[in-house]
Amino acid sequence: MRSPAAAIAWEFRRRHRWGLIAVAAYMLVLGTIRLLVLEPGRGIDFEDAPSFALAVVVPLTATFMYFLAVFSFGLGGDVAARQSMYPVRMFSLPVTTAGLAGWPMIYGAAAIALLWFATRFLALWPSGVDVPMVWPAVLAASLLAWTQALTWTSYPLRGMRVIVTVLWLVVIDAVVMVALESKASEPVMLAILAPHVPLAYLVARLSIARARRGDVPDWRQAFARLRRATDVLRRRRDPFSSSAHAQAWLEWRRFGRSLPALVGILLPFELALLFVFRDTPAIVFETLLGVLITPPFMGAFVAPTVGKSGQPGRDSSGVTPFIATRPLTSASLVAARLKAAAWSTLAAWVPVLVAVPIALRWSGALPIVVDWKRQLIEAVGTPRAAAIALLGIAALVAATWKQLVQSLYISMSGRDWIIKSSALLALSFLTFAVPLAHSIGGSKAAMAALWTALPSIAAVLVGLKTAAAAWVAARLHDGRLLGDRTLLVGAVCWNVVTFALYGLLMWIVPRLLVPAYVLALVAILGVPLVRLSAAPLAFAWNRNR
Amino acid sequence: MTEKVVEVSDLTRRFGARTALASVSLSMSRGAVYGLVGANGAGKTTLIKHLLGLLRAESGSVRVFGRDPVADPVAVLSRIGYLSEENDLPGWMRVDELIRYSRAFYPAWDDAYANDLLQEFALDPTARIQNLSKGQKARAGLISALAYRPELLVLDEPSSGLDPIVRRDILGAVIRTIADEGRTVLFSSHLLEEVEQVADHVTMIHQGRIALSAPLDEIKESYRRLSVRFAESRPQPPAVAGVLRWDGGGREWTAVHRGGSGELQAALAGWGARIEAECVPSLDEIFVAHVGVAAASAPDS
Repeated sequence: MRSPAAAIAWEFRRRHRWGLIAVAAYMLVLGTIRLLVLEPGRGIDFEDAPSFALAVVVPLTATFMYFLAVFSFGLGGDVAARQSMYPVRMFSLPVTTAGLAGWPMIYGAAAIALLWFATRFLALWPSGVDVPMVWPAVLAASLLAWTQALTWTSYPLRGMRVIVTVLWLVVIDAVVMVALESKASEPVMLAILAPHVPLAYLVARLSIARARRGDVPDWRQAFARLRRATDVLRRRRDPFSSSAHAQAWLEWRRFGRSLPALVGILLPFELALLFVFRDTPAIVFETLLGVLITPPFMGAFVAPTVGKSGQPGRDSSGVTPFIATRPLTSASLVAARLKAAAWSTLAAWVPVLVAVPIALRWSGALPIVVDWKRQLIEAVGTPRAAAIALLGIAALVAATWKQLVQSLYISMSGRDWIIKSSALLALSFLTFAVPLAHSIGGSKAAMAALWTALPSIAAVLVGLKTAAAAWVAARLHDGRLLGDRTLLVGAVCWNVVTFALYGLLMWIVPRLLVPAYVLALVAILGVPLVRLSAAPLAFAWNRNR
Repeated sequence: MTEKVVEVSDLTRRFGARTALASVSLSMSRGAVYGLVGANGAGKTTLIKHLLGLLRAESGSVRVFGRDPVADPVAVLSRIGYLSEENDLPGWMRVDELIRYSRAFYPAWDDAYANDLLQEFALDPTARIQNLSKGQKARAGLISALAYRPELLVLDEPSSGLDPIVRRDILGAVIRTIADEGRTVLFSSHLLEEVEQVADHVTMIHQGRIALSAPLDEIKESYRRLSVRFAESRPQPPAVAGVLRWDGGGREWTAVHRGGSGELQAALAGWGARIEAECVPSLDEIFVAHVGVAAASAPDS
């Protein structure tokens, strides 16, 4: 290592090599498809926006967020803490403060600009879209630079970092949106954005200099009285009724409030659209749809926290001795997490279910929804309409909970290589599946063949699910992770829910449209079984290494 | 017959190519303090993790209170108090929340004892654990490990990096636990003078193998540190049966010897040497004599 710059670069490369390899692999796939599958330089007609979003926007955004976390050292500390998140161990290096601030910012800006240019030239963009050349790279570099500067700043109050950073990034985004609305040219966009990077560097340098000498502002005394009042309330709490309850409380405190908070932040902005577009049924519909899919969508972002068993700020996914030595079975520890996820789901949905009717009424958009209700009742009758509505809400609530817990069998294994490989597999699957789905969607013959084959595919999937469930049940039994009675009760409950869903589908869905056996297959595939059951196996594997 | 609290037989554990434990056998009886000593990376924590069921025995067997801690974690862990060297208490918890949370797991939790310890350690119940110093965190962990008066108290390097006052608190906790009749303590450390203060039985572990395991009194009786004066200057000390380690140079040498000094005297006479002084070596000296390196200065592995 010949210089501090090379050493800092080496650390980023070494520590995040698998993530960087995954990004490079994704880019390689994009480039290969572009060069070999499609004619060079040809765009593609995405008939549906979701296909384009899944193929390009989602991976691009995910990689951008990943780079934000990597180059701001955001993965290695407590985001809500008052202290700077810049690694303290680096303060004692014989490197100038300018170097400590500058090199990570340069590497981050270079990586994020490269990400944009690679996506710009390798991705499949919809025909007719004029994709800008440089300013998105400068915007991304500016957002990263400010994220770094504000992450490395010390704050007088806990949690202030999150508020300040989010607000400031929203302000920058708002300025860009206004400029785009005004049809600003590329040079104008560059003139607006370019000054942000040096400004952020100055803030970062000042912040690191203060953090390096241990200077952390403190406003906590001003809130001491309030804290004393909350302490009095806290002391009145009764003991937990059981160890399972105590563990569920710990899990709730660890991740339970994240999803309700995220949904709570987004909900007012989404519902505000009802007040603006109350006379446009299409936008009212899209707004309501957006509101209703917000909890499951945000659940995907909270899920990694739900699955984490290690200490916050540490790289290892292994379970901490503090949790591993609780005198509870592995199944009970997993059950506590599932229970806390259920509380979190309900806490996220209650404000949605309360706020939507109020917003519809106050905005004046309620008549549109009442009209939809009338049409649905005319089409299927009152009981079926009520059942469809309730089934829809129940499915969304269940989907939210499922989002939180469905990957526990991976994350609770505590093996980094499994977690990273599964993320890579998911990304690879999306990369191949979306163009394939687009290709099938564009061909009537392929669609017809798929429709004919769907029952067979569903039957194969049911066979695989049943076999996997039997294997998991045998492992749970052999490993003494679940008793015979619990396994039996679980199997009975799953069957009852599946039969209930099947009965409901039989009643709602017209027989002529979908055969009964297909509905049975859908019900079997729709009720979670294997991945949830495998979570105790994964956790025991992590706990008893 | 005394009931065995811990029985480990022929336990072997490998991490990749490295053997962390090699055919380790150990048994612990009720009502004694066991000191587990060894250099960093010797296998102390690996052995303790097997006792807690955090590691599965690759070969050999582990029984705690007669049960397999992996197969029956609830029955085993509910009787063990554990203080980890990692200090991994959840940072977001307040001290009173830690106590409220911990008491839910142990029916025998003693509120009065917990309050006594809280006052004795001068911990603010409303303080967040992440805002506590390292010593305060160790004290908070000690309360959650002691307040239900566990039958087996396992302290894994509890004094590591702590100031003398906190170390005194930890040793006090060990002594208090001993005072509770029938309690057993396993105390792992590379600070041998601490172990010497409280342990009844010492197990030395080196590179995954048990180098020595015996009651402390027996160890003290068996070993001698001898100052030896040779008639002529010697570049190397002679090979004498029972001498584990030689230090010194020229005519003046110091030997750590296991066995009777009479036998050594006879052997040395043949080399033209005589014993100038004789004393009981410290546990540290015995350890160094056995493993050939200083306990606290050996490299991590």
